[in-house]
Amino acid sequence: MGVKLERIVKTYYDNLAAGKITARKCQDCGAVEWPPLLGCNTCGSTNMEWIEISGHGKMIQMVMPSPITQRPEMEDIRPYCLAVVEIEEGPVVNVMVRGVNRKNKNLVMEKMPGVPVHATIIPRDGYDTVIFDLDEVPEVPKKAK
Amino acid sequence: MKNNINQTTLHPYSRSVSIIGVGCTPFMYTMDNPETEGLTEGELFGYAAYKAMEDAGVTPKDVDFYFHGEASPFNGSNYITPNMQVSEWFGMRGKASIHHSEACCTGYLAIEQAVNAVASGKYNVVLTGCVEFGDAVADPNKPAHIRRKFDDNMFQESLKWIYDRAYTRAMMCGPNLHQDDVCAWYKDEYGLTDDQMDDTLIHMAINSRRSASKNPLALARKTYEELAKEHDFDDVMEYMKSFFNPKMTANLRASGLELKCDGAAAAIVCPTEMAHLFTNKKPIEVLGIGNATREANQAHVELLATREACRQVYELTGVKPEEIDLLMANDFFLSSQLCAAEESGYLPRGEGWKYFIEGRTAYDGDKPINTNGGRCSFGHAHAASGLADVYEAVMQMRGECGERQIKKVPKTSFIRGFGGAQNVAAIILRTKE
Ligand SMILES: [Zn+2]
Repeated sequence: MGVKLERIVKTYYDNLAAGKITARKCQDCGAVEWPPLLGCNTCGSTNMEWIEISGHGKMIQMVMPSPITQRPEMEDIRPYCLAVVEIEEGPVVNVMVRGVNRKNKNLVMEKMPGVPVHATIIPRDGYDTVIFDLDEVPEVPKKAK
Repeated sequence: MKNNINQTTLHPYSRSVSIIGVGCTPFMYTMDNPETEGLTEGELFGYAAYKAMEDAGVTPKDVDFYFHGEASPFNGSNYITPNMQVSEWFGMRGKASIHHSEACCTGYLAIEQAVNAVASGKYNVVLTGCVEFGDAVADPNKPAHIRRKFDDNMFQESLKWIYDRAYTRAMMCGPNLHQDDVCAWYKDEYGLTDDQMDDTLIHMAINSRRSASKNPLALARKTYEELAKEHDFDDVMEYMKSFFNPKMTANLRASGLELKCDGAAAAIVCPTEMAHLFTNKKPIEVLGIGNATREANQAHVELLATREACRQVYELTGVKPEEIDLLMANDFFLSSQLCAAEESGYLPRGEGWKYFIEGRTAYDGDKPINTNGGRCSFGHAHAASGLADVYEAVMQMRGECGERQIKKVPKTSFIRGFGGAQNVAAIILRTKE
């Protein structure tokens, strides 16, 4: 068993285009790398196999966008927050989470950490990427007039 | 949360290495002043290099090798081997050199490089310098003195270059979350309200600006108290929370973001036992340097990389946090002061924020931090900032800082380097008696 020269990045994006979110699981220690990498950062092994991830995760930190973190190229995914998400398979990654807005952010914050989220594949300019959505978007009760 | 960061055990240097000379230009907007407009790479780097050599009592003939650091040489200078292009400006024509580039951590790793080169035994006297044009960038089609402004849009565009292209940029979050990550984590961890974090950051800014106001090399030297008066505010806190100091990120106000600018700094290192051959000043020994990195897609980049770098350097040196007299922390996001202070053990975990509010981290407080003013007041000439912090620590440790001198001259300093999405260095310096 030795390292193989393979196109991991291209395979990941090709899989996204086919509707699958994939990762690499270490066959020696069981750790998962998502997004997928050549070797394992837990034990160093190159004995990695492709797996499909469930897409389920928990949001453990959220930050609302602001004047300099709200980028024009991200307009199409609003409303969103910047988040740290732990996916079911183990990795903890910085990702975009959709469904949080200025009105419902306090309701979401009350349930932190651990708000359930799920991965969604979205198109960008010439490739696809992964963001997350709240499993349940809290409804803000309408104020009586 | 799983830590998910590999650890390294450091081994002692093969021989003790000390800093014997430091030099630093003013941090400035060169193009905005007729006296400095047109300054070039060779002049800034050369000035800092000669100042460091004069300070060390060495000449270019004594220097065996030099390291050149620049965060973004292609962008700022239109160079890809910038050590070559400035090598003849300070009398070292033909001597060997190498360029390195770790974005905002460059100047901290510049000391690491030089110390390793001497500790290995290969060289005795090494110059390490960094230069950056963070405000006046090269015009590729004109001679070096003709420059153009590096505006905010160009800067934002260039920031992409520090992020991974396989996934991080496409996933969009890392590059936008990192400026707030420390504040968000700290508030969650210790139950601080948004207002408490805001007050902490405002006091940090006020303390740092007060230091910068007493530092002739600093870029922004008008205190926030003075600025408040100019805008008809009696209360500086009211001014700091007004639209004159808007929130730019979820936590950081304008006063909590770097002032990118132009500048250079340099240092000379040699074997500690040889220092007396050149200078009567006490050598500043580099006891150890911890290093860690963490890519921006990973959670809590600054926090966890700082934690690991600190762990390494304490394990190697046996120094205790309570022995630290001065902390320098690269704070292009001002919240870095809090992260570096608590991770290095300089301030107690979960309590550090109060020290800022009580003014204890000012140059005249009992826990001084960033006595040169830091990146949001001293300025941020990206690569050069790290060596500017080394310059400040050395000057403080010699008692040569004038008005902003820490009363009890520091004997041990801790320098936390940070930058480039992100590299971290944890450096411990101690005065050799
Ligand atoms: Zn493994």
